[in-house]
Amino acid sequence: MMQSIRWVWGYIRNFRIRLFSGLFLALVVSVLNMLNPYFAGKIVDKVIYGQENELLWIFLGSMIGVTVIKTIVRYNYQIMFERVSQSVIFNIREKLYDTLNKLDFRFFDQTKTGDIMARMTGDMEAVRHFTAWTIYMIFENITILLFAIGFMFYIHPPLALAMLAVTPIIGFFAMRLSFTVKPTFSAIRGQFARLNSVVQENISGNRVVKAFAKEGYEIEKFSKENEAFKEKNLDSSRVWEKYLPILDSLAGVLTVVMIVVGGYMVINQSLTMGELVTFNSLIWALNNPMRMAGWLLNDVQRFVASAEKVEELLNTEPEIKNETKSYNVKHFKGVVEFDQVSFSYGDEQVLNDINFKVRQGQTVGIVGPTGAGKSTLVNLLSRFYDASEGEVRLDGLNVRDWDIHKLRNSMATVMQDIFLFSDTIEGNIAYGNPNASFQAVQAAAKMAEADDFISKLPEGYDTIIGERGVGLSGGQRQRIALARAILKNPSILILDDTTSALDMETELRIQRTLKSFLNEKTCFIIAHRISSVKDADLILVMENGTIIERGNHKELLAKKGNYYKVFKNQVGNFDGVHDFEEVNYLNGAQ
Amino acid sequence: MARNKFDVDEELESPFSFIQLKRLMVYLKPYKKKILFTVFIMLIASGANLIGPYLISRAIDEEIPGKDIGGLMVLAGVYLIAIIITGICMKYKIRMMSQIGQSVIVQIRKDLFTHLQKLSFTFYDSRPHGKILVRVVNYVNSLSDLLSNGLINLITDLFSLLVILGFMFAIDVKLTLMAMIGFPILAAVILLIKNAQRKAWQMLSNKQSNMNAYIHESINGIKVTQAFTREEENKRIFSEVSDSYRSSWMRAVKIQFLLWPSIENISVLTTSLIYVVGISLIGDGVTVGALVAFVGYIGMFWAPIANIGNFYNAIINATAYLERIFEMIDEKPTVKDLPIASELPLIKGKVEFKDVTFGYEEGEKILKNINLSVNSGETIALVGATGSGKTTIVSLLSRFYDVSSGRIEIDGVDIQSATIASLRKQMGVMLQDPFIFSGTIMDNIRYGRLDATDEEVIEAAKAVQAHPFISGLSEGYKTEVNERGTRLSTGQRQLISFARALLADPKILILDEATSSIDTETELALQKGLETLLAGRTSFIIAHRLSTIQNANRILVIDKGRIIEEGSHKELIGQKSYYWKLHQSQHQSLDVG
Repeated sequence: MMQSIRWVWGYIRNFRIRLFSGLFLALVVSVLNMLNPYFAGKIVDKVIYGQENELLWIFLGSMIGVTVIKTIVRYNYQIMFERVSQSVIFNIREKLYDTLNKLDFRFFDQTKTGDIMARMTGDMEAVRHFTAWTIYMIFENITILLFAIGFMFYIHPPLALAMLAVTPIIGFFAMRLSFTVKPTFSAIRGQFARLNSVVQENISGNRVVKAFAKEGYEIEKFSKENEAFKEKNLDSSRVWEKYLPILDSLAGVLTVVMIVVGGYMVINQSLTMGELVTFNSLIWALNNPMRMAGWLLNDVQRFVASAEKVEELLNTEPEIKNETKSYNVKHFKGVVEFDQVSFSYGDEQVLNDINFKVRQGQTVGIVGPTGAGKSTLVNLLSRFYDASEGEVRLDGLNVRDWDIHKLRNSMATVMQDIFLFSDTIEGNIAYGNPNASFQAVQAAAKMAEADDFISKLPEGYDTIIGERGVGLSGGQRQRIALARAILKNPSILILDDTTSALDMETELRIQRTLKSFLNEKTCFIIAHRISSVKDADLILVMENGTIIERGNHKELLAKKGNYYKVFKNQVGNFDGVHDFEEVNYLNGAQ
Repeated sequence: MARNKFDVDEELESPFSFIQLKRLMVYLKPYKKKILFTVFIMLIASGANLIGPYLISRAIDEEIPGKDIGGLMVLAGVYLIAIIITGICMKYKIRMMSQIGQSVIVQIRKDLFTHLQKLSFTFYDSRPHGKILVRVVNYVNSLSDLLSNGLINLITDLFSLLVILGFMFAIDVKLTLMAMIGFPILAAVILLIKNAQRKAWQMLSNKQSNMNAYIHESINGIKVTQAFTREEENKRIFSEVSDSYRSSWMRAVKIQFLLWPSIENISVLTTSLIYVVGISLIGDGVTVGALVAFVGYIGMFWAPIANIGNFYNAIINATAYLERIFEMIDEKPTVKDLPIASELPLIKGKVEFKDVTFGYEEGEKILKNINLSVNSGETIALVGATGSGKTTIVSLLSRFYDVSSGRIEIDGVDIQSATIASLRKQMGVMLQDPFIFSGTIMDNIRYGRLDATDEEVIEAAKAVQAHPFISGLSEGYKTEVNERGTRLSTGQRQLISFARALLADPKILILDEATSSIDTETELALQKGLETLLAGRTSFIIAHRLSTIQNANRILVIDKGRIIEEGSHKELIGQKSYYWKLHQSQHQSLDVG
């Protein structure tokens, strides 16, 4: 608990002046709160019993004045607390967002989107509630309690003491509540994340759900988490159900103590009737904080459960760090070297002893079966993952030694799994260069053979596309992603299966345009079609994480090895033709 | 179709009305008895609670001045009993409150989710997914407090107000009437605040939705962001989005917080009035003890009013969310079962397109007058440039979209007259974009047919050549994967997705770019098995690699939404047209080579 409070204090402290001003004002209000019962007591004592009617107006005027001031001050400090809490969660959210941006692929491979969403929404709400409400409620109740106690001692110590005798019992039950309720809140937060994930996946996967008519199954899956969420909430309420009435009753007992002991004292004449009335009008100030104690502890534990989750996410360290030695470079040449590089994912060896060298402006083709490690290989170059062994070098320096942003900025990758943002097509193409002019965007689109179809859309480049580019065909998405990469004008262009969904004709046209674009740029092309890689300066044939063959198209064909087999398969013999255009192109170029 | 992105507020034009609340009440109906019981319990509790001031005033008026210690003890005893009763009631109240509140929330969320399942692709395609998510999860949660605490508190507060008024009337009618002067003033204040508050909360819910959409998309697109080193720019945008959420929050609370001070000031004014009038009436029918008690009640009298004010606040805030929730429940699926829709009987797989025209948006024509007749068991290949409409044709067959004009028949039945579920259950579709659910690979394949045994799943994986790579993973079929397809290459995901489609054992199989990211060797192996896989099924295959295509019974060449050529490999060659050209050029190149 203290840990979470210390953590959130790290954020609150920036606003501590406002917070303390707010708390001070809350204190003022607490004092003012004391006054009205005091005036009420005086009215009873002096005016009603004492017949000093001329005092009535003074007391009433003070009561009204106090209330007006009190409500104004109170309104202001409430706003202050809201402002502090909004600023606090604003900062935490920013930091969370920042952390997410820094986390590496490995983290996102292993964490569900819904879980992260839960951290950034539901859990933040709990933090907000705590900073906006719980902190000052605790403060207010404690001050009211202290004032009430002080005042009561001032009026009549023995009676005050008698009433305080009940408080340790209240404290005991409050602590019990606090301990018991904490795990239930953690369980709620965990279940909230699961519920979030189930809904999130259902939304993202809606096409598959519909294609397989699995709506019923999805509803069942969802209902399970939905019901579980309810159960976890009920578990928590069962704890309150047990303790809150006890705390409430004990607070009520204070009044009984007052009336019995106080009444006895009045009868004994060690207490005046007026003093007893004052006590009576003050009893709420003792009562209420005791009653609130349970609820507030509840709130605190709710906060702790969420804060722990948020903190955990914030403290997640990316495995890939920017330990830059800050080598200043304006432009990378694009000389790439893999030196005895191995990479494993968990206990799975994905790449094994990869060695090759690429000069500036060369094109490297990578072919091989699904899961051979082709994408992983290029991911090491961008440091989306770090090599487990060996060194990946760019312009002669280990990629780990370059500033990671400079490194990635020098490359443009078109990933296999195309993600487009729910933004306009123009915005999507300009994703890497938000300040690019429309002409530049269009030029990139033209190079990627995308301008034609984009211009035909009713709203052209202003067409908003959905997440994952739904609404566009696979080939259209690939071309937009390619335009996005081209616009970035990188030193190294990485095309991971970029043209798989394109028809041959379009692919050929793209290849031709790319040639002039690439010029001095180093390029990696991962593909299954031989036609995509056959012009490459170096072709790597991969299998099970190793390079089994290398060379250019001619050399590899001459080897009559694996590459040759793939080539033969794709070209086929005349009667078993597979892909006419492809064969045509391949042969024409031979 | 109007698409929405993260930074665009969703317009919603509906005046504040109690319709939302009425609809909410429908959810509470099943718990009418429980609610009434709880109210009854709370009635007892308020009764027990209210005895307090009476007991004290009695002690001050009679027992203490009369030095009656025994009587005092009796009063104390009665008070203790009242406390215990209150405690027990509170226990029940908490229990009932959470049960009712949670049950209603579970129901609303379930209705929302169930309805979501009915909505068509268009719905999902036209807004950021984060905006849908926030409604189902966060908005519904925000109702929880209103439903659990709010409603029952409202009813009990109303009752305690009545009971207090009763006590007050019993003490003095004139004073009581005077105490009620505050009501109309308060009502006026509330009316004044209401509209501004409602607008502020609508704005807030919009900003919240925008922020969540941006977070959601940022998470899903993180790899692209990192690859393009867009972090700083995104941070800037996020700051903006987050800041506009913060400022709309501040605006909302600034208005909302006005209610309390109003209540308190009105309360103190009426109390003062009571003092003035009460004191002037002492001896004139008002006793000192009665006045003291009365003033005590006045304090209690304003507490429930303040609570009701809070409830009112909460309702105004909640309607901003309720509107959004009900708006989504009211969203009409564009593709839906007709009222007369009947179950499609077990199909043979004869498919007919009759003059089918289609556009995603009004006036747009993606497909133009498609006529096509496919016999059961036939394999149809669709070739053509990207964006020519191949995917659209097969999407219409599964009724992912409904035709704009014309009709599609399966076994002579118009698919629009069949229930969607019965239609889709008999089709296996492998989509262009393979989606992987979080869970094991086994679960993912089994998604095609939930009652399939492990053996059947493995069988399907073997048939599509996915078995070798799956068994190569350290945990094999039990390997956990997630939405973003951890550790699986696109090709591998396609294979899993293919196995899933196959496991469904459909009469009609649709393979849309099923093998685009699969290496040639695997694909070849796949081809060999495909013939058996396709036997007895009507299949539609979209591919750019023509390897499968030439074996198809019929090849359709699609261009700009029309079928420009149709026939078997041989026939098309004979037509000496587009397909033939491809073939011809190949002849030549081979000769040259």
